[in-house]
Amino acid sequence: MSSVTKKWHRFLPKISRAPTTVHMDARTLYALATVLLLVQFPHIVHLPIWISLTGAGLVGLRLFLLHEPHRKLLRFLLSPITVTLLAAATAFLIRLDFGYAIGRDPSVAFLFVLVAAKFAEIRRDSDATLLLCLSAFLLLTQYFYSQTMFSALVTLPTIVALVFALSILRDSQNPAKNTQQIKLVGKLLLHGLPLAALLFFIFPRLPGPLWSLPEDSMATTGLSDSMSPGSIGELSKSNEVAFRVEFDGPPPASHQLYWRGPVLSEFDGRNWNTRKSMMETGQRQQGGKSDLHSYTVMLQPHKQRWLFALDAASSLPRSDNVKPDNPGYTSSKRVLGRLMSDGQLIANQPVTQLLRYRQSSNLSATLHTSRPRPLNTLYLPGKNTKTIEFAISMRNRYASELNYAMSVLQHFNRDVFRYTLKPQLLGDAPVDEFLFQTKEGFCEHYAAAFVVMMRAAGIPARVVTGYQGGQMNGDYMIVRQSDAHAWAEAYIDGAWRRFDPTGFVAPSRVEQGLSAALPGETSAPGYGPLDSNWLRQTQLKWDSINHRWQRFVVNFDNDSQDKIWEKIGIQNPSMLQITVAVISISLAWSLLILGLPKRAKQHRSVNERLWRRLCHQLQHHRFARISSESASEFLTRAAAHWPSQRNRLNLLDREFRKLRFQNLNTQDSVVTQRIIRHEIVFLEMGITIARLKPRSRKPSMAQARK
Amino acid sequence: MFSNSPIKQVAGQFWQRIFRARPEDTLPHVVTHQRVYIVPTKRGFAFLLALLLMLIASVNYSLSLGYALCFILTGLFAATLFHTYRNLAGIRVAKIEQFDTFAGGEATFSISLTNSLKEARHGIRLSTKEGSQIMIPVKPKDTTDAHLRVPAPKRGLIQLGRVTLQSDWPLGLWTCWSYVHAPIKSWVFPTPETDAPPMPSAMIEECGSSSTPSVEGDVSGLRQYRPGDSIGSIAWKSVAKGMGMQVRTYDSSHCPTNAILNLENTGHSQLEKQLSRLCAWVLEAESGTREFALQLPGDTLISNRGEIHSRSALKILALYGIDP
Repeated sequence: MSSVTKKWHRFLPKISRAPTTVHMDARTLYALATVLLLVQFPHIVHLPIWISLTGAGLVGLRLFLLHEPHRKLLRFLLSPITVTLLAAATAFLIRLDFGYAIGRDPSVAFLFVLVAAKFAEIRRDSDATLLLCLSAFLLLTQYFYSQTMFSALVTLPTIVALVFALSILRDSQNPAKNTQQIKLVGKLLLHGLPLAALLFFIFPRLPGPLWSLPEDSMATTGLSDSMSPGSIGELSKSNEVAFRVEFDGPPPASHQLYWRGPVLSEFDGRNWNTRKSMMETGQRQQGGKSDLHSYTVMLQPHKQRWLFALDAASSLPRSDNVKPDNPGYTSSKRVLGRLMSDGQLIANQPVTQLLRYRQSSNLSATLHTSRPRPLNTLYLPGKNTKTIEFAISMRNRYASELNYAMSVLQHFNRDVFRYTLKPQLLGDAPVDEFLFQTKEGFCEHYAAAFVVMMRAAGIPARVVTGYQGGQMNGDYMIVRQSDAHAWAEAYIDGAWRRFDPTGFVAPSRVEQGLSAALPGETSAPGYGPLDSNWLRQTQLKWDSINHRWQRFVVNFDNDSQDKIWEKIGIQNPSMLQITVAVISISLAWSLLILGLPKRAKQHRSVNERLWRRLCHQLQHHRFARISSESASEFLTRAAAHWPSQRNRLNLLDREFRKLRFQNLNTQDSVVTQRIIRHEIVFLEMGITIARLKPRSRKPSMAQARK
Repeated sequence: MFSNSPIKQVAGQFWQRIFRARPEDTLPHVVTHQRVYIVPTKRGFAFLLALLLMLIASVNYSLSLGYALCFILTGLFAATLFHTYRNLAGIRVAKIEQFDTFAGGEATFSISLTNSLKEARHGIRLSTKEGSQIMIPVKPKDTTDAHLRVPAPKRGLIQLGRVTLQSDWPLGLWTCWSYVHAPIKSWVFPTPETDAPPMPSAMIEECGSSSTPSVEGDVSGLRQYRPGDSIGSIAWKSVAKGMGMQVRTYDSSHCPTNAILNLENTGHSQLEKQLSRLCAWVLEAESGTREFALQLPGDTLISNRGEIHSRSALKILALYGIDP
């Protein structure tokens, strides 16, 4: 048969048929592999190394198989069954490695391996679809760990690669070059960007999680809930940002900047710990208006529960960035934490993400409390006996507790105490060793010694850790880990009073910060910048950019949305206003993409337009002009088709002929055109009416046929 | 009466408007926006599902960058909608030409697509219900011919049927299509028999008795014009001389033989086989430039030759015994 058709197919043109089957060809595979490697890249930072290697290895093996398709071992290794077994084994190993299976981190790790495994055994187009969807999700999971500008920048090429892979997957035989294809992808993304921005601004941000998995990576940064000699000194070497603060008014003086953190009142002779059970207090610091400072804190995630506030907090931390004196503003004021009886602010959940909160404080060095002083602030274990003896003998020389406390501070100043980041290591009775032998230490040594001296004299005292100082950078203040500090509080005359022994040893620490107090010890990264102004400026610039990024992108929330509405001039927009805004912007956007309707702008004469209108109208009634017909013939045929409209159609025919063939003057042609326009409208009505009552006409037609 | 009820009529119109089941489109036809359908593909739905999951994850962990990523991809998804639409809408089906075939072969329809945009249109897939399809790009400001092949198992007339113009360019997330249903038919001639015997000699008339003019061979003389003579063989010079209409006759040695083809001569009893052999003979006669007459019950073709003649013979064979 085929030979016959070949023989006689001189009637038929030669056509090559488009291929219908699509294989996982090299182009598709490479596009997918690019996506995968780009998606995997940001994850290697936090994943165990063996998982990263497995993931990247599977991708590599699959590409190797592409070039060596006959390797039997490789084919076996990448067969669906082997890969499934491998994935199952990895799941088990992940369980072992992380210690738990149901949680965010192990899930991400498993997804990481799963995506690579899917790629290793990819066969069909639907596999590729699944792979791309999983990759997109895996791409998102990197933000669990980091939302820096860097991770955003890394995402951009990944998105391009992802969309590029989609376009290749659509038709891998596409003759378009990759560069052309990438240009197209860029265009598509750019076109989508306005809508993306709109959604980003409009989409309501829900507070709080919908569900929570067991908390993950507990590795914390910053201050901890315990302190031993040297721990804060260690922390001070880090130049990392702890939090940033924007003050509503002018920032307080440096010596007032005591950012209260964990309060350590449990002492075992060497280590200081927070109290396990804490009570909430409703009491907030009251005071004069002059000392009141309101500010916004942008706390870097430290995975602990404490929040920082200037001593002493006079409000609860709220997720509200609108100034409290703004009347009529009530929405989305959420309380983010509680104020504890020891003056600590405790967040409702561990701070795992950048947290912004409003806070106000009444700057004062004393903390009034109505509660009976807790007994544990007097407890001293049986170590550090020399110190206790020394304290008791010293206490007897002073009448008032306050005088005694001051003299202890003076003692640090009088004796040859040295303030250093690198003190000698201390043994089992660290306070004794510090006070009487080494006489050198960092703030925690002094604070601990002071508290022990107080307790030994029967005065309740505790160590307060937190940050002291901060660096103004433009309109905000940076508080770094190097500002970490420890000071003491003693309960004297019915109030907790702050004593900072460090201020007596090295006053410049409190006045100007650590780098001023320790000009020689410049090993830490934070200290160098003082010397080279250029580097310092660059660092501050960079921090400023980072701050803006966190403030306006990472921490974009309901309040930021409200602020944008406010800027536009709509306070508390109603649902209707939002809907109207969204719809109008979307419409404008779609018009922009589609391009305004590009009608072929042929300048037709009025006559021609009228004629076209008539033809179009009749065509609408399923009466099309045959291309061989003249205008007259067409209208005559139409008259036969709609007998009831015969007169009108004949008139139209006449008028059109007049327009076309007679040389009318302007006025006459305008009149004729007007007649035609009217007649066309009436014709439409007539035809519609005729169509609406087909039954009345039907019998007569049937009779006519007979 | 019920079958003509207005409701039914409106429903029918609606049906036609959506599915274009009847061949009512006139060419040239422009794919207007009213006639373009667009829905997400399977991949598009999978993509949407992934977006939804990403959104939920972003909400749960308040990931601002997660929202951003999710919305960038959503914006892309929406932008692709417009690009897919614009790729198809406004394309013009300028004309459809048909190329005839033999039963068992494939009828070919050449569809001319005109692109008036400044950008190329990519991956336009044309298909018919029978499953034949072809994918072509259309260059900017240009016309491209797409050749659709429709399998033609039986002789007769074959309808092109409803053509679907479809495209999922650029990302395969949306598929966009439009129906064009123009009344275009192609001839399907009977399958010519392989190795058919030569036309039986009995059918070949004596050459001398032939008075039918021929284009080839040496002119042997002139005779009076009879209706049915080819215009090409009229001796116009003698007409100009006022000798009346005369046609040239040819030397007998070059006289092409004249055959009469009918069902009985084929020696087959089955109709299809008979037609198949006749078809082979017609083609043979045409390639050998022989004259033949076709005599079928109810349909006869007087003796002649040439491409037009054999085509009309083939058409008669194609439709023989089939209600049009």
